[in-house]
Amino acid sequence: MASRVLSSCVHRLPVAFAPLPRVSMLVAAQPFSTALCSTGTRTRPGPSQPAAVLMQVPGRVTQLCRQYCEDHVLYILKLYNKIEPEKLCINSHFMKDLGLDRLDQVEIIMAMEDEFGFEIPDLDAEKLICPQEIVDYIVDKKDVYE
Amino acid sequence: SSTYRRPAALFSPFIRRQQVLLLYRRILQTIRQVPNDSDRKYLKDWAREEFKRNKSATEEDTIRMMITQGNMQLKELERTLALAKS
Repeated sequence: MASRVLSSCVHRLPVAFAPLPRVSMLVAAQPFSTALCSTGTRTRPGPSQPAAVLMQVPGRVTQLCRQYCEDHVLYILKLYNKIEPEKLCINSHFMKDLGLDRLDQVEIIMAMEDEFGFEIPDLDAEKLICPQEIVDYIVDKKDVYE
Repeated sequence: SSTYRRPAALFSPFIRRQQVLLLYRRILQTIRQVPNDSDRKYLKDWAREEFKRNKSATEEDTIRMMITQGNMQLKELERTLALAKS
């Protein structure tokens, strides 16, 4: 069945996650409170530049801070068409507060893996049931400074 | 007489649910490797539709059959991907 699906004509279907803007556009739309550094420096932010400067490393941000993680996790969740943005806060329980199910939770964690560029082991993944837990996990596992 | 009790938990709905969720995750992980954007989105929607549709199944036999079927479809997906790459 899968091969038939693959080889058949593909028509556009609404997707759960809207296509994400380039990260640099994200900064232009909503300046973050803290500056982001990357491992390779090009220009340092001067006084005339916005406080939040994001170096786009294709595919991932390599050095993170907690505030960015929180902002970005919530941003990704707001793009999820099954979540009502006004109900979403850092402690919203996916199932109890946002009315999602376990299948949605699987999709959410996979989206976070894609966004932050690392794999979360199965046993850890199934435990993350609110944005705060995702942020704490990323902060713990990646080289994040607080 | 043996004090060992056969773990009924092996066949509990909770374990079944974990298997189903893990299968869903594996399928989505495989779909990630599909090179074409449209195909990838189509397959993700297909997978989600399949799992959502069968979400309310309660019969042990039905669930077991669907897990087996799902594993077969996962294998087929992996095979198709491998062929596409070669």
